[in-house]
Amino acid sequence: MNALIKLELARAFRNRKFLFFSVLYPAILFLIFSSSSGSTSKVDGTGLTVATYLMVSMASFGALTAVLMGNSERIAKERENGWVRQLRLTPLPGRGYVLAKTAGAAVVSLPSIIVVFVAAAAIKHVHLDAWQWLALTGVIWAGSLVFAALGVAIGYVASGDAVRPITMIIYFGLSILGGLWMPSTTFPQILQDIAKWLPTHAYAALGRSIEQSQAPSTTDVAILAVYFVLFAGGAAWLYRKDTLKA
Amino acid sequence: MTTTAAPATTTPVVGFDQVTKTYGSVRAVDGLSLRLYPGETVALLGPNGAGKSTTLDLLLGLKHPDSGTVSLFGGTPRDAIVAGRVGAMLQSGGLMDEVTVAELVGLSCSLHPKPYKAADVMARAGIAQIADRKVNKLSGGQAQRVRFALATAGDSDLIILDEPTTGMDVSARQAFWATMREQADQGRTVLFATHYLEEADAIADRVLVLHRGRLLADGTAAEIKAKAGARRVSFDLEGRIDEAALRALPFLTSIDVSGQTVRIQSSDADATVHALYGLGVYPRNLEVAGLGLEQAFVAITEAEEAKQS
Repeated sequence: MNALIKLELARAFRNRKFLFFSVLYPAILFLIFSSSSGSTSKVDGTGLTVATYLMVSMASFGALTAVLMGNSERIAKERENGWVRQLRLTPLPGRGYVLAKTAGAAVVSLPSIIVVFVAAAAIKHVHLDAWQWLALTGVIWAGSLVFAALGVAIGYVASGDAVRPITMIIYFGLSILGGLWMPSTTFPQILQDIAKWLPTHAYAALGRSIEQSQAPSTTDVAILAVYFVLFAGGAAWLYRKDTLKA
Repeated sequence: MTTTAAPATTTPVVGFDQVTKTYGSVRAVDGLSLRLYPGETVALLGPNGAGKSTTLDLLLGLKHPDSGTVSLFGGTPRDAIVAGRVGAMLQSGGLMDEVTVAELVGLSCSLHPKPYKAADVMARAGIAQIADRKVNKLSGGQAQRVRFALATAGDSDLIILDEPTTGMDVSARQAFWATMREQADQGRTVLFATHYLEEADAIADRVLVLHRGRLLADGTAAEIKAKAGARRVSFDLEGRIDEAALRALPFLTSIDVSGQTVRIQSSDADATVHALYGLGVYPRNLEVAGLGLEQAFVAITEAEEAKQS
């Protein structure tokens, strides 16, 4: 399986478009969004500066991009072109394919998080304690597994033609409604009511609780955990169904 | 039907026992029983839709039979694959995009429990010169060779090939079969599906004829050719036609007279035509044509059914 992970990674790092959108794009968005506000203005009700607030949003967004975009499309296409079948003729265990894809995405999502942090610290002068930087990296990285599972599930449910629009709708829906692009407190009430149940909202909220040196809200942890079970369970079920009919 | 003799103590490489697989109302494989023994080179011959691909999918455990059992080396197909005893190249098998040929072959080698060196695998498959090319930039014939390389990445005992020469031109086809014969000469069991009788004839020492999911014939290529080698003779006769005399022609397998036109199927057209002139008639518009494989299968089917009833 290591050989497959290595090859998946080599391929991901060769794909400049994918690297740009998952590694550089979130940092660029961060700099654009935070440029309009001074280094002291704060986001209402959080006690965090705009730059500090947006840093978590964009790091989460970057990790989301890295784990969701590449895999859903690859899996749908490789199911269709028969590569998944070909792999079933090797000793690689069936779940090895999904694990390799997830591991590959996790390796790309780490730099996308770190690049946002470096931009925030170096250009927007965001200051946090050492433990906060480490905890943020760990939480955002680990939390991205929820969306990696979603990416796998989409890859098994969508056909090769439909996978890109489906992924895009879910990706932008989760990013914008979940408050990754702008604080959800600026939304109309009805959208705020939707937003607080979205996994992306809970995901970014976990990161912000670290910035605020607060214990994470149990509701957010529970929401993420439930989504993870749903997505991973769905992915496993779809994977098994696909194996039987392929 | 003849069955290749093998000592009863040998574990068959492939064992199908009363295997049936249906899709809706279609019986893709219908009560198929067969055994392959070590070292055999076997062609699975049949027209499109005969059930060849389904048979290979069942054999590799990619599909499960509705009834009956499939075994490889006495165990399940998956066990045989995990042990590295099977290498397979399927029509429906895809390749990983955006990696080079060398990387993909290297992956296959590292997944195989008894791998060969990737460079050797590529050299044998004739793809060493395109090792650095991206997989998605290959021609159909080159992609087939890469698939062949993936199927022969390690020291497997059984090689399965589903219509391997699809997309190859004549010279590539010949080079491919030369490569494949090397595999067989190393003592491996080789099973390949084809719809070309000539390929089966040139390569295989045993031919299985599959039609509508059932095994129609099992024998040497020569035996199958004799069965499927029937020719069609047609001609016009003037005046009254003595059908009884025509019916008595040698090697005639069927006859159809409509108006002045006579259509005959013969297992030895040369002898039949020679005898036809011996009748003292003057056939006009004489045509002798080979039967297509599809018609040959129908002819074999009818012969089998006539035998059974």
